[in-house]
Amino acid sequence: MKEFQYVITDELGMHARPAGQLVKVASSQPCDVKLSANGQTVDGKRIIGVMRLAAKQGQTLTVTCEGQGEEEAAAVIEEFLKNNL
Amino acid sequence: MGFLNHLFSTPELEIGAPVAGKVVALAEVNDPTFRDEILGKGIAVCPTANQIVAPCNAKVDLMFDTGHAVSLMADCGAEILIHVGLNTVQLKGKHFTVHAQNGDHVKAGQLLIEFDREAIAAEGYDVITPMIICNTNKYGKVKTYTEKTVNTGETVIGLVE
Repeated sequence: MKEFQYVITDELGMHARPAGQLVKVASSQPCDVKLSANGQTVDGKRIIGVMRLAAKQGQTLTVTCEGQGEEEAAAVIEEFLKNNL
Repeated sequence: MGFLNHLFSTPELEIGAPVAGKVVALAEVNDPTFRDEILGKGIAVCPTANQIVAPCNAKVDLMFDTGHAVSLMADCGAEILIHVGLNTVQLKGKHFTVHAQNGDHVKAGQLLIEFDREAIAAEGYDVITPMIICNTNKYGKVKTYTEKTVNTGETVIGLVE
């Protein structure tokens, strides 16, 4: 299992566009991807779940990758978050 | 559509228009998030009214606190996003009034969001309103009924298991 935390810096927080892009990145990974924020944990490959987190600027997103390719998945997702959220 | 459809094809789960207006294909939406179907398949409405209603019986999964979008878990299993206008997250709630809360069970046609489309357009935003089936991959086919003018509730998407 590979886990990391990311503090959202984008002033608009999580909304449809970054949620869609994040799910696209997560879905291209072979391992399971879970996202947690605000006491909720959701499947990082489901758009409706990722949006449900309603994660805002300054809040911490915890990303957990588990299974085949988890190290690489975590690196790819962290890179995406730094560039987009 | 029509009785021939019912006679010869698999039954469809019908999703109604969330707002009155002209229904167009996502390909016509000037935003790659929708146009390229990153969020799923669906349609968009060029609205001629200011009320967004539930397109089917559903539970409100997330009413964005900005009121510019809402996601629904339909009773039929579809996961639906209605996004009012493009880039309207930037309005931070201005010109939007929400009429439903997270977890509410809403009936088809029930008011979800009111928006001032003239004021939103006057600020330079495109008010086109995509409605997306976020769990598109659950369905064998997502049929869309575009290039027509509709009232709320008229079928615009048909889901085939």
